[in-house]
Amino acid sequence: MFKFRFNKWYPYLLLSPALIVLFLLFLGGVILGLSQSLGYFPVLGLEEPTFKYYLEVWSSTEFLNSLVFSLFISFTSAILTTIIGVFFAYQLLKIKNKNRIINFLYKLPIIVPHIIASLMVFLILTQSGILSRFAYHLGLIEEIAEFPRLVFDKNGFGIIAAYLWKQIPFVVLMVYTVLKQINGSFEAAAKNLGASNSQVFREIYLPLTAPSIGSAFIIIFAFSLGSFEIPYLLGPTYPQTLSVLAYKKYISLDLTQRPYTMVIATSLTMITVILIMIYRKILSLISRYHL
Amino acid sequence: MFKKNIYRKIILYALIFLFAFPLLLLLVWAFSGRWPWPNLIAESFSLEGWRYFIDPANGAVESLATSVIIGVAVTFITLLISIPAGKAMGLYDFPGKGAVKILVLAPLIVPPLAVTMGIHINFMLLGLADKFIGVILVHLIPTLPYSIRIMTHTFEGLGDKFEAQARVLGAGPLQRFIHITLPLISPGLFSAGILVFIISFSQYLLTFLIGGGRIITFTMLLFPLVNSGDRMLAAVYSLVFIAAALIFTLLMERVLVNPAEKRDHFYI
Amino acid sequence: MKKIITALIITLLLLSLPAAAAEVLDKSWEEIVNEAEGETVNFYMFGGDRRINNWVDTFVADNLKEEYNIHVHRVPMGPDDYLNKLLGEKQIGRQQGSIDLLWINGENFKVARENELLFGSFTEKLPNFNKYIDQNAEGVTHDFGYPTEGYEAPYGKAQFSFVYDSAKTEAPATFAELTAWIKDNPGKFTYAALPDFTGSAFVRHVIYNTCGGYQKFYEMQEEEFVKAIQPAVDYLKEIEPYLWREGESYPATQAQLDNLYADGEVWMTMGYHPTKAAGEIEKGNFPASSRSFVIEEGTISNTHFLAVPFNAPQPEAALVAANFLLSFEAQYNKMIPANWGDFTVLDFDKLSEQERRKFENIDLGEATVPLAELEAHRVPEIPAKWVPMIEEVWSAEVAR
Repeated sequence: MFKFRFNKWYPYLLLSPALIVLFLLFLGGVILGLSQSLGYFPVLGLEEPTFKYYLEVWSSTEFLNSLVFSLFISFTSAILTTIIGVFFAYQLLKIKNKNRIINFLYKLPIIVPHIIASLMVFLILTQSGILSRFAYHLGLIEEIAEFPRLVFDKNGFGIIAAYLWKQIPFVVLMVYTVLKQINGSFEAAAKNLGASNSQVFREIYLPLTAPSIGSAFIIIFAFSLGSFEIPYLLGPTYPQTLSVLAYKKYISLDLTQRPYTMVIATSLTMITVILIMIYRKILSLISRYHL
Repeated sequence: MFKKNIYRKIILYALIFLFAFPLLLLLVWAFSGRWPWPNLIAESFSLEGWRYFIDPANGAVESLATSVIIGVAVTFITLLISIPAGKAMGLYDFPGKGAVKILVLAPLIVPPLAVTMGIHINFMLLGLADKFIGVILVHLIPTLPYSIRIMTHTFEGLGDKFEAQARVLGAGPLQRFIHITLPLISPGLFSAGILVFIISFSQYLLTFLIGGGRIITFTMLLFPLVNSGDRMLAAVYSLVFIAAALIFTLLMERVLVNPAEKRDHFYI
Repeated sequence: MKKIITALIITLLLLSLPAAAAEVLDKSWEEIVNEAEGETVNFYMFGGDRRINNWVDTFVADNLKEEYNIHVHRVPMGPDDYLNKLLGEKQIGRQQGSIDLLWINGENFKVARENELLFGSFTEKLPNFNKYIDQNAEGVTHDFGYPTEGYEAPYGKAQFSFVYDSAKTEAPATFAELTAWIKDNPGKFTYAALPDFTGSAFVRHVIYNTCGGYQKFYEMQEEEFVKAIQPAVDYLKEIEPYLWREGESYPATQAQLDNLYADGEVWMTMGYHPTKAAGEIEKGNFPASSRSFVIEEGTISNTHFLAVPFNAPQPEAALVAANFLLSFEAQYNKMIPANWGDFTVLDFDKLSEQERRKFENIDLGEATVPLAELEAHRVPEIPAKWVPMIEEVWSAEVAR
């Protein structure tokens, strides 16, 4: 009897520290943010829940422009990252004698934080950056102003470049790990039947890695959407990404602005909750695969 | 066939160059004096940035130590929480597992910025803001999902037979853990440990908001330098940062793990 | 971990004795100095200027340690962030904060005063304030037109000046010539995006020179203001196509603009302290041919201050530190361009002959506008309340 009960509660017991932390810190933060965005903020003397902050924020052009800008940057960088990352992982798999330098180098961006990634993009891509200097010496440009605007630009080019640099290795690792586990005899068999290299890639490797590519895409997308440092350091004056906008409003000197900030932050969360749903879908796809 | 390999290598090396080149550029900037456009080489070289970094008055070394202390504490606590959680998730089936899985993974997707802003004023109320403990707690949010995930995979890979065997042999729970479980999960612990440390070590905004300036980590010195465009000094600090993270990783590798069993688990 | 917890408990115990402002200000100066001994003053200030950081970390920290056994902990956090923090702490009634001393002025001071974020009227407690400062000077009694009432102590004086590269171009003498220069040299001029402090000051110069001076802004009603500065908005839009990147983007901070200048990407920059060019040349950042200029119509000058927050954990140490920063040695050392180059707030009439001569003999450098010329072209700040409004209008109308 005792043993049965012990077993039944055992997993929950093991999970309890993690659950306490996640409930208090993570869910607590999400719920507090949500209630503040609804105008329930007793510390500020706001106690009447209302949707007015949502209506006001969602109808402001500043917010909408930021939303479009953020989504554009996250989508573009996630798509490019995934394509390049998968390509790179595949090449890595095919190469026969891997040397240690390669193995070391492509993992390096992982330990480099976003702040430093921003600095490097800045050093390379600004109009006075190293690329522009090369362009001058190659005779491509004569004046500094002729170099295209790649940082602090309204297309978010610099931001996307920084995300690519930082996130491609992540995709490579995720995909490469799965690729490595795929049985090489599939490929041999397919080749025997006359399949070309690209067919092998499309028909064998791609479907088998699709679940991990999908989840890598979602994580990257969500991460760039909520990340603050890179767009803050490399973004244009206007529009700002949602995360930067939320921060700017957060440090506003008028505390009654706080609910508006929380609307922006909560909107970020909402977008990503939709992503969790997609992620769940992918997870269930993965488990179906294994069955 | 031979040609194909060459072409593949060129692509690969080109990509790797793209990853390595920016780091080289950092190295050059860290030693340069005045370096106006369009020169490819700085007009003068100087060690001023390094002198500034080493000077104890400027607090750079001190803040590096703060970062390491926080990173180690966060790693320790996160692993302590993740081992049992990973075991539960990896070895058992229980009602509500799906919901727990979502809760565990959700912080990967929900921006920590939003969570921290929501929780900030309550941290102030509870007296956790501006303190080490508050910063350590808030660092658990972005680190836990990764580490629980890795530990879950680790336990899934092991299955629970080994422990059942030990139980039959009559070992107590603590002995079982130390002599059987721990050595077997050490590769997972290693991956998770490094990852958690690096995430904590790289945090800026969470530390800035919750630490309120009283807890000055290394990124808090680095951020204004990058923002204000002090390229030379920012490059110096960046190199130090990367070197510190690398040293920690290598140290962990040396001390903890049999490299053959190492697995690739990394984050964005 | 154990160590951290122990340290935390000890700090908590030490910090659990909040000192009410009145209590501290009732003490004699000797008592204050005695109680400050061995304490740490947490000095929150903008952290993006290596030279200023270094001055505080070395000269100020060393001297306070030596003379008063006070430890200086400089925190690189600017006014927006620290005021937000204080507002939050005020809101939840936290009487034991973490900031002792603030570097502040202008609209930030006004926000701090109106939200009762400051400690009290403390300046007359400071011996050096009584000894060296002209207490009736406009720059001491008012900050951007807002009365200081002793809640902040003057720290330094600054005057806006433009910087140009004399090897590439000549200096415009008037505002009209500056406008012509901008149009004749497309892409070679810009200013930092508001709310950057210097960028914001540049826009105020535009307002002064396109909207008929600064006097009328002292008595204006809020409703009139946006309309009154419309000519300045029009002007800023008019020059936009001639700016760096055709005004599509502005440098986010003054330091970024300085980088553009150092790289030759633009030919002019600006600064809210007149020895900026001299200092940057000495650091090796700016070309040696850089020079400063002020326009005929005058450039804005102001005073920056030190204040103590309402919940400072070590108010005594903060007062002693503020007093030290007003001493002759500190003010003199601060004014030397290689150290910082920030002008003194001390009243020359109250200095000894020898001290005055030392000030006058500071070599401000070839790149600095001579002191007499600076003084002849000085205009005051407008009331602090307009600054956030200007920023709002700018982001709504000019930035997008």
